[in-house]
Amino acid sequence: MSMNNIDNLSSLRKGQTALITGIHAPDSIRHRLQAMGLRTGREAEVIRRPRHGPMQIRIGSVNLIMRRCDAARVTISTLQ
Amino acid sequence: MKRFAIVGMPNTGKSTFFNRLTGSASRVGNWPGVTVDLLSARVVLGGDAVEVVDLPGIYDLHGFSDDEQVVRSFLENNPLDAVGVILNATQLDHQLPLALQICKLGLRPVILINMIDEADQLGVRIDAGALSSAIGCPVVLLSARHGTGFADARDAITMELREASPVSLNALRENLHADDELVQHAEALVSESVSAPSKLVRKMTERIDHVLLHPVFGLPLFFLAMFLVFQAVYTLGAPLQDGVAYLLELFRTWTLEPLETVLPSGLYGFLVDGLYDGVGTVASFIPVIILFFFLMAIVEDSGYLARAAFLTDSLMARLGLDGRGFVMILMGFGCNVPALMGTRVMRSRALRLLSMLVIPFSLCSARLQVYLFITTALFTASQAPLVLFFMYLASFAAAFLTALVFGRRLKSDEPFVLELPPYRQPVLKQVLLRGWHEISHFLRRASTFIITGVVLVWLLTHFPAGSTPGGAGTYASMLGQWIKPVLDPIGISADMSVILLFGFVAKEIVIGALVAMTGLDGSALAGYLATQMDSIQAISFMLFVLLYTPCLSTLATQLSESRSWKFASYSLAWSLGLAWAVSFSFYQGARLLGY
Repeated sequence: MSMNNIDNLSSLRKGQTALITGIHAPDSIRHRLQAMGLRTGREAEVIRRPRHGPMQIRIGSVNLIMRRCDAARVTISTLQ
Repeated sequence: MKRFAIVGMPNTGKSTFFNRLTGSASRVGNWPGVTVDLLSARVVLGGDAVEVVDLPGIYDLHGFSDDEQVVRSFLENNPLDAVGVILNATQLDHQLPLALQICKLGLRPVILINMIDEADQLGVRIDAGALSSAIGCPVVLLSARHGTGFADARDAITMELREASPVSLNALRENLHADDELVQHAEALVSESVSAPSKLVRKMTERIDHVLLHPVFGLPLFFLAMFLVFQAVYTLGAPLQDGVAYLLELFRTWTLEPLETVLPSGLYGFLVDGLYDGVGTVASFIPVIILFFFLMAIVEDSGYLARAAFLTDSLMARLGLDGRGFVMILMGFGCNVPALMGTRVMRSRALRLLSMLVIPFSLCSARLQVYLFITTALFTASQAPLVLFFMYLASFAAAFLTALVFGRRLKSDEPFVLELPPYRQPVLKQVLLRGWHEISHFLRRASTFIITGVVLVWLLTHFPAGSTPGGAGTYASMLGQWIKPVLDPIGISADMSVILLFGFVAKEIVIGALVAMTGLDGSALAGYLATQMDSIQAISFMLFVLLYTPCLSTLATQLSESRSWKFASYSLAWSLGLAWAVSFSFYQGARLLGY
């Protein structure tokens, strides 16, 4: 598995899709992220990833903007 | 009286539905167990009197933000006959768990699936009947924006309320159902009763975002858009303002001036030269304010504010704030009070306090009135817009400086995650309703603060009896002499100091108080102002007005939202100190340079 070094949402590039496998954050923060749609088993696609500033992620019908440091809390496994 | 509350996630059209259900009769009020004001209205549904309460938008009931706590303690302390759960039709898989959670708590829900028009366009088909029988509560499809299905929704709520009896909840948090189960349940329900294309593509939104969120041009376009909004307020507002002033003058000439022969001269002076002219001058700014709020409502309604948060976040992060903070500052340009309340979505107290410390420096519409008046009176037509632009820059600079100074002490671990809603065409009715709320808000302030302020200033500047009105020997001039040592070094005259004292209550009073004090209005007042200050003193005065504290309402909101006297006094002391220091440096600096 050569792609295994990509393991959190912040390291995905624009246009890439991955499966969410978990959120590593204190309870309260994890809860908030889950309630906003970042749930284990969902597919996340990176829509925008400007050099500075937050990224835009699409999970199903929900579009989110989030900082890279927060995206780094979301572990993923890449598809294919 | 039956009670019905509306819950839902942010961006589901909750308020739109509330407005449609209740008309414009809503009011803010206090509720047991809840420390903040909530919007509510009384309506008649099928012969029953019903109190409808609009609860803040929340993502789940577990959460730790103030908004989530408000919803929880409202539900615990106020028995409800039924609950309307508003869901976004295009995100049912994501939002249905919240509705199921409400069901599990034992409340009687009416599930209102909103934005059905958007869902239709995207090819999402929802079988409301199947959902209703699977969950065991009424399910209605509707578009609160356009009114489709609204009658059905109202009927369903009426029916549900007719049979209902109040339900009280205890220890809500312990009784919350595990999320994972609800999510699984929701997924099963959605796969049975919703058919949707595998990928929801919003072509229009993507195309617009391609331009407006462009990595290079996004930010300049944002500033251009803001500039155009302010430009529109200025150019469209000025003739409207002249129109209102003309009408008020007409009324004065034809109806009030004939009274001069009938009324005792003291009373006539008080009523017409003081009260009428004072309040009238303030009222002539209403069109500008309404225009401003209309344009803000359009920007807000379109979905662009979330983009503003996206574009400005990296800048705000450096100041210890986030993109939402920038949006609150923008909202503060209308009025600081709702902007302060908007910070309730923040979970981290430190971030919330920092945002609330920064927002009062937003140049709100009340301060805009003062500036429009002073810049028109003291600067040329080509200088005036530049001076105004400089004030907006100063407003941002003060906000950023404050964040820099206090950011280190108020550090937070708040994640910055925000939903990006699709662009929506603003609906005229919603925009007009927003405007109406602002006008009624202004009229309420006018009937209390402004009239009282104008009356007080008139009394202070005309008594003790025998002193020259507005001149030496009056109470006002004594007050002015008393603060002189503080305000003299920043170039503010004794007379203007008295005005500032009243401006502390509300900036709307400032112009009205000037009129009441001098007995002049229109161009005569402009002439008087020119004797009180030159252009350097005027800018120093405006800087002081910008920073020294927005109004008593803002201060009260800071106190009620932070629930901390210490924070509110800190904020007041900082803004007073900053105001004096900035005006002092500007005024003395300019004088040193020989201006």
